[in-house]
Amino acid sequence: MSSADEAPPPPDFGRMSQPSRRISVAQGAPGLTLDRVDFDYAGHVILAAMDFELDKGGSAVVTGQNGCGKSTLLYVAAGLISPKRGTVLHAGNPLASLFPSARVQRGIRVGFVFQEGGLLANLDAMSNVSLALRYHYDVLELDERTMIAQAEAALEAAQVSRADWGRQPAHMSFGIRKRLALARALAIKPNFFFFDDPDVGLDPRTAQVTHQILCQLRDDPEVTLLVATNRPQLIERLEVPGYRLQAGQLTSHSGKSSLPPSGSFSRPPS
Amino acid sequence: MANQGTAEASKVDPSKAGESLLSGVGGSALHAYRVSGALLLTLISAYKSSSAPGEGAREVCRALTVRQIFYTSFQALSMISVVALFVGATLTAQSELLGGPLQRETAGRVLVTVVIRELAPLITAIIVAGRSGTAIATEIGVMRVNSEILALASLGIDPPRFIVWPRIVSTTVSVPLLTIYFSTMAVLGGFISLFFIDAHAVSEWRSGAVMGLSLVDLPLVLIKTIGLGALVGWICSYYGFEVGSSPTEVPQKASKAVVQSLMACIIYNAVITMVFYGLLVGGRLQ
Repeated sequence: MSSADEAPPPPDFGRMSQPSRRISVAQGAPGLTLDRVDFDYAGHVILAAMDFELDKGGSAVVTGQNGCGKSTLLYVAAGLISPKRGTVLHAGNPLASLFPSARVQRGIRVGFVFQEGGLLANLDAMSNVSLALRYHYDVLELDERTMIAQAEAALEAAQVSRADWGRQPAHMSFGIRKRLALARALAIKPNFFFFDDPDVGLDPRTAQVTHQILCQLRDDPEVTLLVATNRPQLIERLEVPGYRLQAGQLTSHSGKSSLPPSGSFSRPPS
Repeated sequence: MANQGTAEASKVDPSKAGESLLSGVGGSALHAYRVSGALLLTLISAYKSSSAPGEGAREVCRALTVRQIFYTSFQALSMISVVALFVGATLTAQSELLGGPLQRETAGRVLVTVVIRELAPLITAIIVAGRSGTAIATEIGVMRVNSEILALASLGIDPPRFIVWPRIVSTTVSVPLLTIYFSTMAVLGGFISLFFIDAHAVSEWRSGAVMGLSLVDLPLVLIKTIGLGALVGWICSYYGFEVGSSPTEVPQKASKAVVQSLMACIIYNAVITMVFYGLLVGGRLQ
């Protein structure tokens, strides 16, 4: 930390508005950056001047008590909700000034699996998975055939059976909905992946499938992965740096994942 | 006890009562300011995102808009037909009661004028607000509760473009179309009503109805209906997005959406009529 603190911030990190501050430099290409991020729900502090950084291709697990704000941290980190203060950057791009579609045009493809799925209720499984591909077909340079193939590949990877492809989420079990949400997030071939409580409510076989996919994403050098979970089995399996969210701050997790990842840092609020 | 309460109430410090009244007025003004700002922001972000680049986004949203127009206009035709036929019939019956056989030409003219200028745009907007406005606010509210809006954003889909803009466009297109249909059906209802009252009077009534049609009304009807439609889609979308994370907020916001959009429509309708005929046409009611 100390040597890194001495280094000036890289110019492409979008931090030029705060030249007096010194932030540790990432070793690799910039991935996910949270720069002094504050967030609260009507005065209830969730994130307090939080700094966090993951290199491109880096992975981390966030743990914490129920209600401590793990999901909110993921929402903020994915750019789904704006922080009250501070900046969130994906690959050096500040998200606050970009419409979601403009992020895709800049090569930021986010896969987010929500605790409850967040599936579009009026679309069937196939349409849910192919919607983003259709919406961005020109940016992603996809034709109709590639689009369908990519959607089918994602559904098969998440082991959603073909019989369910034409069904709406309301007619599916919780486990299938969760796998469908995973397939939807995978279909766009994301380079930022956020997974909120991946195996909650899943049977062991489905949880195993989810763990395997997470391990593949972890090993992909193009994907920056952030997982919120309290499951020891998944934490052990992923073997990635772990952080505990407590009192609005991320602190390095003790135990198997005690060491912070290269280029990552966790700093108390000043 | 009641006397004691009255006595205590009478002891209230008038300066404190004035203070609380002032803070109440101030609070309401602040709330109105906040809502106006948020409403404006909803419209601006929807408009801005609608013109953002992206051929795929344009195609998806165009298909969505066409589907919304179908839901808002085509599926409302049966309801509009019933309401318009009976409104036209009732107005004609009342004219007949008031004017009798001597005033049939005037009755036809009054029906056409009143329906085209006032009743058709307003009643159509009320029907669209009650039918589609509720659906818009409820659907968006449920999407908020189920994290569908966040999911769309995570997929790189702009919620204002994907959700708000197609709904504003659909109501803006549907209200003028439905108003034309309403007017036609109302005149038909009047015609049928008169046919049953006195079949020989129909030609006289029809010539009056034709006289009631005036080109001066065309810009008024267009401005009115486009504005009324936009108001319904805009206000109802805004209240849908106002839903937080609790399902109990959905019916509350949906009800608020319909009430507020109806109020806005009635006020807008009156203002446009007064401005148009009072200032632009110089009070000459043709």
